Amino acid sequence: MSEFDKLGVVIRYEFLKHIRRARLYIILGIALVAEALVLILIPALTDGYPESVKVMAGLLTVGASLAALGAVFFAGDAIAGEYEGKTGFLLFTNPVKRETLWVGKYLAGFIAVALLMIFTYFIQAIALLIIYQQVPVEIFQSFGIAMFYAAATLSTTFLFSAISKGSMGATIMTLVFVWVICGILESVLAFTGNPYWFVLSAGGDAIATAYGSLEQFLAGLGGLGSLGGADQMATMFKMPTLGMVSWGMAIYFVGGFVASIFLAKRRQLA
Amino acid sequence: MSDVIVIENLTKYYGKFLALDNLSLKVPEKENIGLLGPNGAGKSTTLKILCGLLKPTSGKAFIEGIDVITQPEKALSRIGAIIETPEFYSYLTPEDTLNYFGRLRGMKGEKLKKRIKEVIELVHLEKWSKEKIGKFSRGMKQRLGLAQTLLHDPSVLILDEPSLGLDPRGVVEFREIIIGAGKEKTVFFASHQLVEVAQICRKVAIINTGKLLAFDEITELEKKYQTLEQAYLKVTGGV
Repeated sequence: MSEFDKLGVVIRYEFLKHIRRARLYIILGIALVAEALVLILIPALTDGYPESVKVMAGLLTVGASLAALGAVFFAGDAIAGEYEGKTGFLLFTNPVKRETLWVGKYLAGFIAVALLMIFTYFIQAIALLIIYQQVPVEIFQSFGIAMFYAAATLSTTFLFSAISKGSMGATIMTLVFVWVICGILESVLAFTGNPYWFVLSAGGDAIATAYGSLEQFLAGLGGLGSLGGADQMATMFKMPTLGMVSWGMAIYFVGGFVASIFLAKRRQLA
Repeated sequence: MSDVIVIENLTKYYGKFLALDNLSLKVPEKENIGLLGPNGAGKSTTLKILCGLLKPTSGKAFIEGIDVITQPEKALSRIGAIIETPEFYSYLTPEDTLNYFGRLRGMKGEKLKKRIKEVIELVHLEKWSKEKIGKFSRGMKQRLGLAQTLLHDPSVLILDEPSLGLDPRGVVEFREIIIGAGKEKTVFFASHQLVEVAQICRKVAIINTGKLLAFDEITELEKKYQTLEQAYLKVTGGV
């Protein structure tokens, strides 16, 4: 039996675990609630929906961004959990390379996130069709960026899972890194007019900016766009291109994954 | 009769703590060997190295002539193992779990399905085969652990305290299964239960502080020290 065949087996059963766990459905629920809130609050707080379908599409990416962060919850225990929960005593005594196990776990987690993402974009497209009778072609670009962001976040979580003693620690460390550290770094770099394409959270922003620039969003939101200094602030930001953001995410995707495999392979189950 | 498990000068440090000190041991084919020793003697470390879970600081270990350190996957294909109290994925059922591990070992189709049914019946988990393992007691997990150990009909069984957590009936059933399997297989078996070891094994290896102190037939040890318990106490503690 080849390692490739074994990889297929690992993906199948790791994905089965995701399907059986409540967290998949909880994340999906949160993402859908976020999209519902956008659909309810925008017309409730302003004069109806924005004129531009792209602005509304950008606002609805909040669900996809949350779904992408679901990667953290799928991968937090991928490596650390085998050691913490001692399930590794059974799994690792099977004749399969550790690399095959980690790659299989990664792909199973990615498939789970991809399913969430497809569902949130489907809801987004339906909502846009109902409100505007059209769906911007940029939805594919946004979807691609969201998938790449999910892959990069998954790799980053794998890295924390490889170095962490416990699953919870890995999950919290990744969330702090993505939401707090990257968020602060991105804000500081953006407000000081410096490039920030290499910060992971810039990938999350690009899911929305795939539909248009920050200036276009602020202008499209009417009241918000006319707030003092908002336009000036938008022009001051050195908004990275989607290409640059993709390079940034590639660093996390490849670097995080390779480092996690290297570190996990050295780890022993005492 | 060839040696199925060969341990050569195995040394293992955990930081500065010496867990195994140049341990050498040979287990002949179809022999049932008990590995005895007090807590921290190095029993689990030895078994974990044989199962590829730990890497030794120095020394070598072979299963059926295959180097466990350089060819772990090939060596693991020959063994079935229970190390410590087995923990399973709580969201899977025993059938899912055995399917997963069976497929990883190249089993499939009707043959796998039939074998899963056989081992589940052997450990008396028929009523629970489709229930999620999260609901299982420690003893039930131990039974499932034995089922996965025997699933692929390996030629070598490596068992670390396999009856831990079982009720008295479970202990008896477990012992009978291992004795039955031991007629056709090589069994290397760590335990603190001297009575259990005496019923399953013909020979025992007694280790302490990572060193081999005695390796002999139980009858010989009983001749020398009157009982296996006396032999164990005197060899490990000088009582």
